[in-house]
Amino acid sequence: MKTYDVIVIGGGPAGLAAAVSADKKGASVFLIEREARLGGILKQCIHDGFGLIRFGEKLSGPEYVERFIKEFREREIDHSLLTFVTEMKRTDGGFVLKAVNRRGVQEYCAKALVLATGCRERTAKQVQIHGTRPAGIMTAGTAQHFVNLQGKMPAGKCVILGSGDIGLIMARRLTLEGAEVLGVYEVKPTPSGLTRNIVQCLDDYGIPLHLSHTVTRVFGEQRLTAVEVAEVDSNMKPVEATKKRVACDSLILSVGLIPENEMAEKLGVRLDARTKGPVCDNRFMTETEGVFSCGNALHVNDLVDYVSESGELAGAAAAEFTRRGADTVTKQGKNSRAVSVELKPDTSLQYLVPQKLTLSDELKQVVFYFRSREVLSAGTLVFLLNGKEIFHKKYRNLKPPEMERLELDLSTFKIEKDSRIEIAIRKEGDI
Amino acid sequence: MNVNVLQKKLHKHFGESVSVRIENRCIIVSGHLDSWDKIVAACSMCVNKKPGMHVVNDIRLDGVTIPEMRIPDVKDDSLDKKKPDVLIIGGGISGASIARELSKWKLDILLVDKEADLAVQASGRNDGEVHPGVDLNRGSLKQHYVLKGNRMFGRVCKELSVPFDRCGQYVGFTGKWMYPLIWAYVWQRRHICKVKDTRILKRDELFRREPNLNPEFQFAIFNPSAGCVCPYGLTIAYGENAVENGAKVSLNTAVLGMEVKNAKIRSVTTNRGTVYPKIVINAAGVFAEDVAKMAGDRFYSIHPRKGTNSILDKKSGSLVKGIASIKTLNQNTKHTKGGGILHTVHDNLLVGPNAVETYEKENFATEQGSIDAVFEKQKLTAGALSKRDIITYFTGVRPATFEEDFVIEKGRRTKNLIHCAGIQSPGLTTAPAVALDIEKMVVKELSKSRKVERNRDFQPVRKAAPVLNRLSDEERNRLIQENPNYGEIVCRCEEISKGEILDALKSPIPVPTIDGIKKRVRPGMGRCQGGFCMPLVTKIISEYEQIPEEKVRKAGAGSEILLRETKPGKGEAVS
Repeated sequence: MKTYDVIVIGGGPAGLAAAVSADKKGASVFLIEREARLGGILKQCIHDGFGLIRFGEKLSGPEYVERFIKEFREREIDHSLLTFVTEMKRTDGGFVLKAVNRRGVQEYCAKALVLATGCRERTAKQVQIHGTRPAGIMTAGTAQHFVNLQGKMPAGKCVILGSGDIGLIMARRLTLEGAEVLGVYEVKPTPSGLTRNIVQCLDDYGIPLHLSHTVTRVFGEQRLTAVEVAEVDSNMKPVEATKKRVACDSLILSVGLIPENEMAEKLGVRLDARTKGPVCDNRFMTETEGVFSCGNALHVNDLVDYVSESGELAGAAAAEFTRRGADTVTKQGKNSRAVSVELKPDTSLQYLVPQKLTLSDELKQVVFYFRSREVLSAGTLVFLLNGKEIFHKKYRNLKPPEMERLELDLSTFKIEKDSRIEIAIRKEGDI
Repeated sequence: MNVNVLQKKLHKHFGESVSVRIENRCIIVSGHLDSWDKIVAACSMCVNKKPGMHVVNDIRLDGVTIPEMRIPDVKDDSLDKKKPDVLIIGGGISGASIARELSKWKLDILLVDKEADLAVQASGRNDGEVHPGVDLNRGSLKQHYVLKGNRMFGRVCKELSVPFDRCGQYVGFTGKWMYPLIWAYVWQRRHICKVKDTRILKRDELFRREPNLNPEFQFAIFNPSAGCVCPYGLTIAYGENAVENGAKVSLNTAVLGMEVKNAKIRSVTTNRGTVYPKIVINAAGVFAEDVAKMAGDRFYSIHPRKGTNSILDKKSGSLVKGIASIKTLNQNTKHTKGGGILHTVHDNLLVGPNAVETYEKENFATEQGSIDAVFEKQKLTAGALSKRDIITYFTGVRPATFEEDFVIEKGRRTKNLIHCAGIQSPGLTTAPAVALDIEKMVVKELSKSRKVERNRDFQPVRKAAPVLNRLSDEERNRLIQENPNYGEIVCRCEEISKGEILDALKSPIPVPTIDGIKKRVRPGMGRCQGGFCMPLVTKIISEYEQIPEEKVRKAGAGSEILLRETKPGKGEAVS
């Protein structure tokens, strides 16, 4: 059985960044990818707009990820493609993984794991769409796979439900390929995707966006023939009188992403109900010691630049953990549990990552990701330590679809094990 | 029975527009009414307990045209002039199990189904419970067969290599005061109805076995013989074993008419030619009455009753280990137990079904209301049940007779016909036993005109393809070494390899569609519902079948997943 310091599961942008950064820190690294090629979902994201923050230029998904793949290859990091993890177990010194590939059943050993397993799309049934079960209903990601990787069109005349970014991107993509996109229906009163995508993918092509509307039913026996759409009330319940049929042959869904953490859950990793990703500390380590999480498995990011960043941070921390873990074993006989403090965001935040801080000398620069619950033209993010404000930052145009990143030096604050740290966004005028 | 009394009763409840008469052991109710529920109520009112008496519904529904049976688009002569010994109409659990049992004999067996696969209607749209038969009264065919069928499941599933779990059924009661009543009921079931192992579980033992059930349960009826099976998996396995033993299955084949002369079916017209069977078995589910009518032998009626089930993520699977439900006194226990929670052989939870009368035999549309109602009730069985864990839902339509019993008998007027009709719940459980009896009836009938010989090559054990994630590491590794496709995972949620998908494409009844593959080896059954694997499965089907991806269908004709290629790029040839 092969033994590594760090095993990274997932060869998308998060996993690649994690592997490279753990390798840079001197750890022995192994990356497992279930598909035949590295790159994750970016392989099919042929539109531009990736890398503005990181590289200061607009790249396509494949171009963006190619830069990481190149570095990964140059560093000759050990990896296995088309390999699927079937089992993960904790052992005394780390973890044992079982996987299958075309060569057989494999077993690997690692001191630390980085879970970079990405996310999946919510399906039609998960948003309570009823009626028949015809062909022509699929998620935006599936449609994107067909169009961009297989060169096939799944839609002729289509309705898009949900204004998530992939849905918006696909509205444009399908239009460019000659499909007729009748409209994008969004159950919420505000769009779910980035403003730039609303402008560039819908407005520029004259595709209508119907806010506070949803698809309630589908029709057709073999192929979809129509959908029923309706306006929703303030409780998001469809209003009977507004129901109408829209004839179409396809329904494309972009109704949310769910971090994939089924593997993590099997290891006993606790998840945050808000992010659907693991609860983690400032090192992106989950509550299961030695298990790190990053990218869209940790929380759904809006931009890939942040996915790569969290991968880098998690990879470096995992490498650090394997180095230190060994130190503590020799000194104290076993790993001593570090003390951590929970961060308490109030309801003005949709979520905050990380959810905890582990108190140690390393607690200096910490990267936070958060989303506002409401659309705010102006707001102030406030950190309170035992009721006292220790930090605030003003923001303009806070929107739930747009994630915010904040880097903070916590070394100057006296955070102790029984400290109470609360985080809130105050609306302008509240202060 | 006094027809005048019945007539008065009908008039009192439904007015003068309905009337009833009795002819040849048929209680024929006719006239017209303005709602389907009234029609069902009127016909149900006329039911007579005397064996062999059936209600035939001739009441018209005002202002509504009952939808015609959907017919496949295919038209060819692939079956034309065939002369099978036995023609089985219907590829559900009944037809498939009958085909398999008959394949023990040297007979030319032809099974036809109008759908693109076996088990597309009721047999593929139920909860897969193998019933203990505790809720059935003596004297019914259902009760007779359920006890026999249940006992056969272990052996049948082993032979056919179908997962079966005798997980036990728990029916919980919240009122202590009901104990004496239920004790008497259970005594009666054990000693009179011969459900020998049914018993009462005290609170402690109940919660030791099923810790997540309603804490207010005071005791429960426990049926250790209850189990679960994958209903379409079993149907397909029966069909495959029949084909392995020489039977023929023709899908996308609808029976359109029959020529009946001198009380015998001479020929049967289908969309794929006219066949001349010696004997016909009517296992047509919701359309059994229609087939009976074609054969000039309509003496019962089917009133379709739909039910919706939800399937929950495997993550919630540990909530219930067996089959659990709650019994309260105010619930309508007439037609169904009102659903329950069932831990499937694939470790999902299945919640439902409800029961709604309908005149649309093929309306499988789901409604949120059905799911809400079922969950409201089943949350009383297990409080932690959550709609958030739903990954999919489906509706099935049960083919019920007004007597709420099976019709398993030779044609009354038409001699070379055997009815296997009204097979609603527990029809999956009864199928193995019913099939044996129908086998006997067929052999007896055919023996009248010629010698029927045993098929000495009959092989009861199905050659099932391996299910990789159920194997030991050593075995799995060995198979991957032999065939690396077994090591290439295509469906991540259910952990299905490319090799297993190819096996399904090479199986005895191959159905090279997304749904056909999904039913056989499960890609797309998991929590992402095919979001990740559907493009890959499409590609595998297209490569194996050597058809363009645009020709790959979800199910029947017209359900192609893809419409065309994307626009050619610059410099690419336009083809």
